[in-house]
Amino acid sequence: MPIITLFSGVFCGKKTVLKNLKDRTGYKHVTDDDIVKQVELLTGLQESKIRRAFSSKTSVFNEFTHEKECSIAHMRLAVAEMLMDEELIIDGFSSLLIPGNIDHVLRVCLVAEMPYRVAQAKTNHLLDEKEAKRTIRQEDGDRAAWIEALHSNPDPWAGELYDMVIPMQGLDENQAGALIEEYLHKNVLHKTEPSEKAYENFLLSSRVQAVLCKAGHDVTADAKHGAVVVHINKHVLMLDRLEDELKSIAGKVPGVKSVATRVDMGYQRCNIYRKHEAGVPSRVLLVDDEREFVQTLSERLQLRDMGSAVVYDGKSALNIVKNDEPEVIIIDLKMPGIDGIGVLKKVKTERPDIEVVVLTGHGSEKDRQMCMDLGAFDYLQKPVDINHLSKVLKNAHKKIQGRVQGA
Amino acid sequence: MSKKNAILLAATELFSQKGYEGASMAELSRMTGAAGGTIFHHFKNKEDLFLNILRGIKEIILNSFDQYLEDGNLKNGMDMVEGAVSFYLQLASQMPTQFLLLHQHFPYKMAETNPVCRDYLESIYNCLLDNFEKGIVKGQKDGTIENVPARKCAMILFSMVDGIARFNTYQLYNAGALYDELIMMCRKMLRSDAYAPRG
Repeated sequence: MPIITLFSGVFCGKKTVLKNLKDRTGYKHVTDDDIVKQVELLTGLQESKIRRAFSSKTSVFNEFTHEKECSIAHMRLAVAEMLMDEELIIDGFSSLLIPGNIDHVLRVCLVAEMPYRVAQAKTNHLLDEKEAKRTIRQEDGDRAAWIEALHSNPDPWAGELYDMVIPMQGLDENQAGALIEEYLHKNVLHKTEPSEKAYENFLLSSRVQAVLCKAGHDVTADAKHGAVVVHINKHVLMLDRLEDELKSIAGKVPGVKSVATRVDMGYQRCNIYRKHEAGVPSRVLLVDDEREFVQTLSERLQLRDMGSAVVYDGKSALNIVKNDEPEVIIIDLKMPGIDGIGVLKKVKTERPDIEVVVLTGHGSEKDRQMCMDLGAFDYLQKPVDINHLSKVLKNAHKKIQGRVQGA
Repeated sequence: MSKKNAILLAATELFSQKGYEGASMAELSRMTGAAGGTIFHHFKNKEDLFLNILRGIKEIILNSFDQYLEDGNLKNGMDMVEGAVSFYLQLASQMPTQFLLLHQHFPYKMAETNPVCRDYLESIYNCLLDNFEKGIVKGQKDGTIENVPARKCAMILFSMVDGIARFNTYQLYNAGALYDELIMMCRKMLRSDAYAPRG
């Protein structure tokens, strides 16, 4: 019988769906709390500290002894050991530690649009609108950081991570529960031989990684039928000594038949240029009177490591240009007071080094031509694909960097 | 981040990688996108830029130790010494660039002739050594640490811990794996026979 994992944004109705699902299936419920308690037993680290692995805020972990990596490695081990049981619902951050090739796991993610989430926060948690939005922003940030740490992809709602992504607006918990149950019955989620093997590999690699992390090593491990590969993720001068030590520790784990080590050069410490010219602008100013739209856009850019500030009218934009040093401005055309064209004109005459990207919902071909003639870097129509916008911003950044270097 | 801070950050990186002579202001200008004029608007010259960085490092180290001592739950002198060891290593791994800079030779050369530089470095090392020394003195009062010369012992202990930090900054070895043994050695070195260790 299968295992269900449930991940969700904050205020997406997970609690009620979970209850409904438990009633329907009778499965045992495992939470992050259970996993964290287990990690506390395994590592001796404080529970409150382990919990901080789920937070994107400044780290409380001792980086010298790799406490955070050690916590996560033991979470992986705790989850792997839980999976020996079946008929489980694993809910929360730790559920995402299960590798995608274990097929007898149904991965469910609950999402919802902003108005639904704010309404949930108001009725169920008695938050006002501002508090609700702040909490959502912060919690989404935590989730993005967690996913990025595990999969190097900052999008916690990416479809490829799940078997089902359920949008909750317009559904009640009973309907959501029924959808999940239906999927469970329609798809044969029994343990197959490959799935069983994938699970054994997961369990063994988790055991090896945990024991190495506990000995103070920040490494990852793969396992295939007892053959373990330990990945060394950083440059070390005395590599032979390190490899000997890793092999000797890993070799003692029951079930390990052979150990190899591999140095992953991709993790080499960044050189100074890559660190500082990461290729994305660090100061983007967004100007748009559609507040909701522009705030969301700003958050999405921040997820992609682009620092951004938001103003709602042309006058404030020009003030910021005067006092601060934005690299790139993204601007709407239609705004009360000084409109986008006005800002574009003024910026390009007074501060031609700042690149301006026009992003508008109502532009014509004539508008486009005028903006480009006035020196806009690009002209985009709403709704804009975030990946495309990122690319445009990177190109603008490249142009600026090229100019600085040529100077 | 303000332009001034961005320049300081990039310059720290540059000085730590290329030394004082090797760090060129033209390169700094390319890294930050700030024109040469902007850099010299904020900092008088290269020396002034470096001293600003060093002052920043001094402030971080002093503040972090103050913060750490306030938060710390340190029962006796031995705990305090172990805490100082662990805290120093954590600090070094949190600020690898700054420690790489402290592990360069040129700041100490500059300190021979430049009193400001000397003053900053002296404050940094006094702060670090004081923490070890205070721990040892406290331990001698509460009976956890043997009757050794506190000041000299603190310097020996610090050199050992700083050496391990260097293992990390120069990427000689995964020094994190030496942590448990390091703590054990510190205890062995200092422990009073009258004090029964935990565990």
